[in-house]
Parts: sequence; structure tokens; C-alpha cells
Amino acid sequence: MDYTTLTIKELHALYVEGKVTPLEVVKQAIEKAKKDKTNSLEAVTFEQALEMATLLSATAVEVDNPLWGIPYFIKDNISTKGVETVASSNILKGYIPHFDAEVVARLKTKKAISLGKTTLDELAMGGSGMSGHLGRTYNPFDPKKERMIGGSSAGSASVVASGFVPFALGSDTGDSVRKPASYAGLVGFKPTWGRISRYGLFPFAPSLDAVGYFTRSVADAAILLDVLAGRDDKDLTSSFEKVEDYTKYTTSVKGIKIALIKGISDNISNPTLKEHYEQTLVELAKRGAIIEYVEIEKSLLNALFSTYFVISCAESTSNNANLDGVKFGARKEGKTYIDVIKNTRTAGFSALIKRRFILGSYSLKQENQELLFRRAQKARRLIVEAVNKVLTTHDFIYSPAAPGVAPLFDKKSDNLNIAHLIEDNHLVIGNFAGLPSITIPVCLDNGLPIGVNLTGRAFSEKALFGFAAAIEDITGLKNLQVEDK
Amino acid sequence: MEYEAVIGLEIHVETKTKSKMFSDAPVDYNAAPNTLVSPIDLAHPGTLPLVNKKAVENAIKVCYALNMTIDETLYFDRKNYFYSDLPKGYQITQDKRPIGKDGYIDLNVDGKITRIRINRVHMEEDTAKQLHIIEHSLVDYNRAGIPLIEVVTEPDIRNGKEAAKYVEMIREIVTFTNVSDGKMEEGSLRCDVNVSIRPVGREAFGTKVEVKNLNSISNVEKVVDIEIARQKAVLEAGGVVIQETRRYDDGLKETISMRVKSSAVDYKYYPEANLVPIYIGRDFIDRVIATCPELPTTKRTRYEDEFKLSQFDIDVLLANKDVCEYFDQTVKFTKNYKIVSNLISGEIAAFLNKNQQSITELKVEPANLAKLAEMIAGGKISNKQAREILEHLFEKNQNPELVAKSLNMVQISDEGAILTLVNSVLDENPSVIEDYKNGKDRAFGFLVGILMKKSQGKINPSMASSILKQEIEKR
Repeated sequence: MDYTTLTIKELHALYVEGKVTPLEVVKQAIEKAKKDKTNSLEAVTFEQALEMATLLSATAVEVDNPLWGIPYFIKDNISTKGVETVASSNILKGYIPHFDAEVVARLKTKKAISLGKTTLDELAMGGSGMSGHLGRTYNPFDPKKERMIGGSSAGSASVVASGFVPFALGSDTGDSVRKPASYAGLVGFKPTWGRISRYGLFPFAPSLDAVGYFTRSVADAAILLDVLAGRDDKDLTSSFEKVEDYTKYTTSVKGIKIALIKGISDNISNPTLKEHYEQTLVELAKRGAIIEYVEIEKSLLNALFSTYFVISCAESTSNNANLDGVKFGARKEGKTYIDVIKNTRTAGFSALIKRRFILGSYSLKQENQELLFRRAQKARRLIVEAVNKVLTTHDFIYSPAAPGVAPLFDKKSDNLNIAHLIEDNHLVIGNFAGLPSITIPVCLDNGLPIGVNLTGRAFSEKALFGFAAAIEDITGLKNLQVEDK
Repeated sequence: MEYEAVIGLEIHVETKTKSKMFSDAPVDYNAAPNTLVSPIDLAHPGTLPLVNKKAVENAIKVCYALNMTIDETLYFDRKNYFYSDLPKGYQITQDKRPIGKDGYIDLNVDGKITRIRINRVHMEEDTAKQLHIIEHSLVDYNRAGIPLIEVVTEPDIRNGKEAAKYVEMIREIVTFTNVSDGKMEEGSLRCDVNVSIRPVGREAFGTKVEVKNLNSISNVEKVVDIEIARQKAVLEAGGVVIQETRRYDDGLKETISMRVKSSAVDYKYYPEANLVPIYIGRDFIDRVIATCPELPTTKRTRYEDEFKLSQFDIDVLLANKDVCEYFDQTVKFTKNYKIVSNLISGEIAAFLNKNQQSITELKVEPANLAKLAEMIAGGKISNKQAREILEHLFEKNQNPELVAKSLNMVQISDEGAILTLVNSVLDENPSVIEDYKNGKDRAFGFLVGILMKKSQGKINPSMASSILKQEIEKR
């Protein structure tokens, strides 16, 4: 039997019934991962995983711990003690962290079994899965290898979509979990800012960053949040807000008010997506949901991408200034410390990263800061105010997660995509306002998945899972599998 | 032309805490290099800063001492630049909203009070320590992340003496409030001076020169005056002062150019997103102030108004926090403040100095020193006897009254006894009385000497002198 394509919940049930052991499952997952055709893997920890699985298989199943013995992968910008972590960048080659990220530590405590690290766009900057030091990460839904999986959490999306493991950790600064989830037919979740500790997540833009993850069902997403949510004293931005029992959500949508943003939800060009998106709305309405169009000023929507780009580039230049070869990483020698830093950074970063640093640094310069960085901060505030206003009268914002299926590789670059300026970038609203947001599959277009997105009020994760589960129930698209060809 | 100097100071204080500003790595200046370092201090990716509560409390105390407006919310910013001693590539500091702003301190220079406005007090972290050896640079990350408090004045200082006095006052504040050990020579209090000069009467400032890292208070005065003189000489020779950073060379006794600032460095300050604004609230601030040890300024006023000590005595006591504490302990048992002050700054200081000891090592308990002061004040012993008793107390802490008794040393202060003694001396020396009456002043001293000898030094000298005078007049 194929165990690794099951959901966490299903696999746990088999463990409890004694139908399979963690060792058998982990062995299967490793065999599959070894045959990976998507170029999704960084450092792997198969031996440690087998050891752990052997150990667990010799002990009693923890009936109340759904993560017991569940194999998973970790995006390579999340710190793992003793396991090389390079964020898919040459500059970090050889860097072996001294500590586990809080999320990794929590999963260890729950006896989930990590198989290793996954590729990303270099330092999580990018949305294509093309810019990591290992080259392109492929979308398993496209055996011709012409289409991207999206990014930056490319490898993590791919290993779950490929059926290696039931979940994988990612990170989301603009839409880095929720967009690839759309292209990979997965559930992709990003929590409220502060809900999950960022300790050990390599910072890209801390005011926007969140640890997120991919699962094959909404129920699994809730199971994970049960474990990962909550205050961590090592992260001063992590919240004291009460952790709920997220798996106890209700799928009743009666009386729940949904906002569709004009300019996003009435502007769908892909006909298959349009059809299925609208069908879900009809069905949701039948079940008692109240669906209304709302307006957010067009100028604000048009400013989403540039605002994001300025803020994230500015923050990223500062957050990656520690990568200088002086203390760790792939140092390139030089006569003076200035030469060491220059040589290390020149050799260590790709051109795309350098471009972002230059833009970020430029926008922070004293003479430009008012016009660029601060102006972007002001735009962000206006956007957040507009979104929060919508959410005072409506429970969720509902939208397509992407304009269509996974794009072809040659269509995507780091340049501004004018064709879908709003449709391709609106998920960043969730990062600007720090709101919980989830992508779930809505349809397949010629075998390629497309997702929808649901964004809720801060700390409304439980209700968000409930509503997402209702959509999952309507579409029937749960645990999508890549056909093995 | 007459010039006046315009001087502003920036002082960095390493504040006493158990751990670093933003990590839990311990602070210990004597530890072997690179033994007190956490992944946070080395800027390992994914680490996040935590705020040291004790450092915040210490900053509040400094703000309180300098009459600052204290912010009820803490804001942190990043100062971005690349340097080998800066692990993160940025320093976490407070730019837009420092914890303290708009304060002042009053300097008493030669009896004249000058108010120096304090622009800001803010918290930040120290960089790593660097050691350059020929072609190599060694970095000690033990210092990386140690909490610093920076105090910045307005350009209100006019000369070296004021500058030195200001630094002394700041040192006094941070040591007396237990915020720092304030040791300039060890770098726990570092001082940068900005000096410019302008013709008297002109409002616009001259070109500012920064002089770095002055390592003693006496150097501050010297260096400021040397730099003022240098700038004057430049202008008088028809030259222009250039904006630069200089350092003082102790050997050459002059300031040396380190680097010319073509334009100000752009540190690209922006808010630190990993530390959301932290509301500390008025209650917290008030609690910290309530537990703050007595400020040196309050102490000065108390010593002056209540104890009637001279400015000189006060300065001597306040020069050392431990000495001051010892004084305060002693005067709990006696009201003879001046005598206690004299004993501490005289005999005790000499003894400690001779034996290279600090006052915390002194065997004499404050209560016993107070007793000794009472004995002196009551005329029971002479100053000479007091000195002798102290020698015994230095060896072993004991009751000075018992020491005096065992040495058979009680002073003759009984008027009748002195009168008898005086008259017997006068009877024996009629010729000296004659000399005295003929105007020989020395004769009086001679008689006192005989009195002392006869009483084995036990006679109360002031009483003896007045009775002697009175009895001579009668003859």
C-alpha cells in the first residue's frame, strides 16, 4: 500500500490500528524521495529518520498524538540543529546551525520525523522556485517539466504534491506558501503574525514573515496548528493570545459573511477557474453563507506589489547583512575585512539577490527614505486599514489564489508582471495586515490544479479552518494525487 | 579675534547586567575571549533579539538622574553598516524615540552653576572587541551585545574644565545608581567630544571636529583645551577647520587626525521589526525610580545643607562611591559629620593609600569610627591620640573607648585640673612670663609645649591654651 500519499489523519489512524509502523512508512517515504524528479531536496537526514522510526516502531503508538511517527520535510530557511541549512544560497554553504527553530523543536517533541530540507528561491526571495542555488524546482503535476511549482517554498510544495510526505514546513512573506499551494493542489496555510514563533526562521522581511506549511487537507492544517501555535519567549513578537483547539472547527457556514473584492474576484480570466470559483459561491450561498462584493480603492490595489517590493527589499538588505563570511558560511578570503565581506558577498549571492539588495538599500538611504521606504510604509498602513475595515463587516475575504494554473518557466521573471498586477499579488494583503490566510484547491484545469484563498481576521484560525473545510467539502478536492506516469 | 568654543559630549556607558542587551549570554569582563557568546550575538540566521529588563531599568535610572522625559513605550531601530566588529551588519539602537529626552544637569564649576541640557539618553548594544596585530585582526565576541546607555548633550559646554566636570558628574551618577562601574580606563565609560569654535558673538556654529575615546577625566579637560587651541591656531593662521574625527595621542600631547568625514555616514535607520514597541507604563518607571539609590546630587545637597560640609569635603567623599557609603554608614551613629569626613579623607585615606586597599577592605566598623569621632568632639582625646587609636583600629576592629583606656589615654579636660597644671608651670617659669609680656610671641608656644610634656600629651589643647592665656594676664 502507498502510505505516504495519505493525510496525517489517515496515517495516524493506521498507526493506531496497528496496520503499519513508522519504520515502514519512513522507508517508503525515503525510497520515493530518493527518486525525486523535481529537484526539491537540500540536505537530507534519511539515516536519522530511520533511526527515529525504528525507535518509535518499538514503542507504543501515542493515540492522542496525531503527529507521532509522521514523516515531513522542512524548508531550508528554517534552522535545524546539526543539519546544514543554506536557504538555497551559495553564501551559506557549510553553515550548520547550533539550534532548532521553535517549530522544528515542537515537531520533534511530538515525534514527527524529519526527512530533511527542501529547496527554495534563494533566501526565500522570489516566487518561481527557479532562483535557488540548485536551479529549478519542478512541478510534479507537469511531467514535461515546463511549469514552475511557484515559490519561494518550492521544494516543500513539491515533496507533498509528489506524495513523499503528508506535510512540509514553509515560510510566507508575500505568498510563498499560499501561491505554490495553488499550483500544487495543496492546502497552504499562513497564520496570524505572531501566532507561530519565528525563532529559527531565516529572516527575509520580519514585519511580513510567517512560518507556514503545506498539507493535503484542511483537517491536517488544523492538527499542525494545534502543535505549532503559541507564545515562545524566544520570539518577542509571538503572541500571548489564547491557543484554541483548532481541530474542533465547525463547517457550518450559515450566516457567515464573505467579502469578494472588486477588481480581484470579478476579474478572473481563466474560464475553468471562473466556473469553479463561481460554483463554490453558489454552493456556499445555498448553505447559508452571505456573499457580498466590497470595494477597495483601486489605487491601493495597484500599489500592492510596489509597496511589497519596497518594504521587503529594504528589510531584506538589513536582515541579510549578517552574511558576510566573517562568522560562518562560505567565506572568500581577502586582504582586509572589507575585502572579505566584498568577496564573500560577490561570490555568494546570485544577481537577482544583489538586485533586490541594491533596491532595498536605495530605498532606505536617507535622501530616498521618505519617498520610497516611508511612502511604502504609509501605503501599507492605508491598505491594512482598508482590509481591516472590510473585515469588521465580513468574516472572510474570498478570492482566487492565483490567476490560473502554474505558469511556464519562461513566463516568469523577477520583473514586474503588469498583466496580472493585482490578481498575481493580492495575497500579500495577508502579510501586510498579519492576517491568517489559507489556500485550498478549487479545480483542475487540464490536470493542473488551481486554488482559492480565504483570509480572515487576526487570530480567527479556527473559524478559517472551518470555512475552508466547507469549501473542501464542496469541491471534493482533498488529498489530490499526482498520477505516477 | 576672540573665540568661544562650542562643545557637545557623547558618553557610552556599559551598564551592569548579568546578561547581554538582546541575548541571554552572560556578561563577564574577565572571561576568556569568545567564551560568552550565544548564536544571537553571532547573528546566526533565525535568531531573534530579546530585551534585557535590567538594562531598561538602568537606563530609566540614568534618565531620572538627568531629569529626562522618560518614554512609556520602548522603540528600537536598526543602524545599518558593515564592519568586522558588527556581527549582524546592523546595530539595534534607539533612533527616533530614545527612552529619555530633554533633560539637564547642573554643573558646579568653581562655585558657578552652569546648566547643561541633555538631548537624549538611549539604549543600544556594544560591538565585538577587536585586536589588530600586524596583519591579523582578532575579534572577541564576548563584548558583542553588551548593553550600552548613550548620553548625548546639547552643545552647551564651553571649555575643558566644564567638559571634565560634566564627565565626572555622569560617572558619579552611573556609579552611585549602580548602573555601571564607570571605569574610563577600562572602557566601561567612553567619551567622545565634539568641538567647534566661533568668534564671540556669532550665532552660527563653526566646523565640528570629533575627538574619540578619551580615557580619563583629566584627559577630557586637557584634550578639549588642546583641541580648542589647535582650532584657534588654524583659524588665526588663515586656515579652515575641516570636519574630521581625531584622537588624542598621550605621547605627543596633541590630537591626531583619524579620518576626514566627507559627508555624514548614512546609517539607513529604520524600525526594528523583531522588537515590536514594548509598553512599559508609568507604574514600571515609577517603581524603578523608587528603588533607585540616592542620587549624587541629592547627596551633595544633603551634605551641604544638613551636614554643613564644605564643597571640598563633599567632592572628596563623592569621588568614590564606596567611601561615600562608608561615610553614610558612619554618620548614622554620630552627628559629628565634619570630624568623620576629616578622619575618612585624612588618616583613613592615607592608610588605604599606603596599603593599596579599598575602603571596603577596611577593618574599622563605621560604628566604631563614629565612637572615635564622638570622643574627639567631646574633648576626651586629642587629635594626636585619635591618630594613635586609629592605628590600633586598623589592625583590629575594636571599641576605641577600650583602646583609649588600655593606653591610659584619656584627655585632661577638667577645668580645675588644667588650672592647677597651668599655675604650676607658670610658677616654675617666671622668666618666660617676662619674655611673653615683653612681646615675645614664641614664649607662649614654649609654655604650651611644657604643659603638653607635663601632661604626657593628654591635656585638651584648646582648653589649655585659653586657660594659660587667662592665667598669664592675671600675673
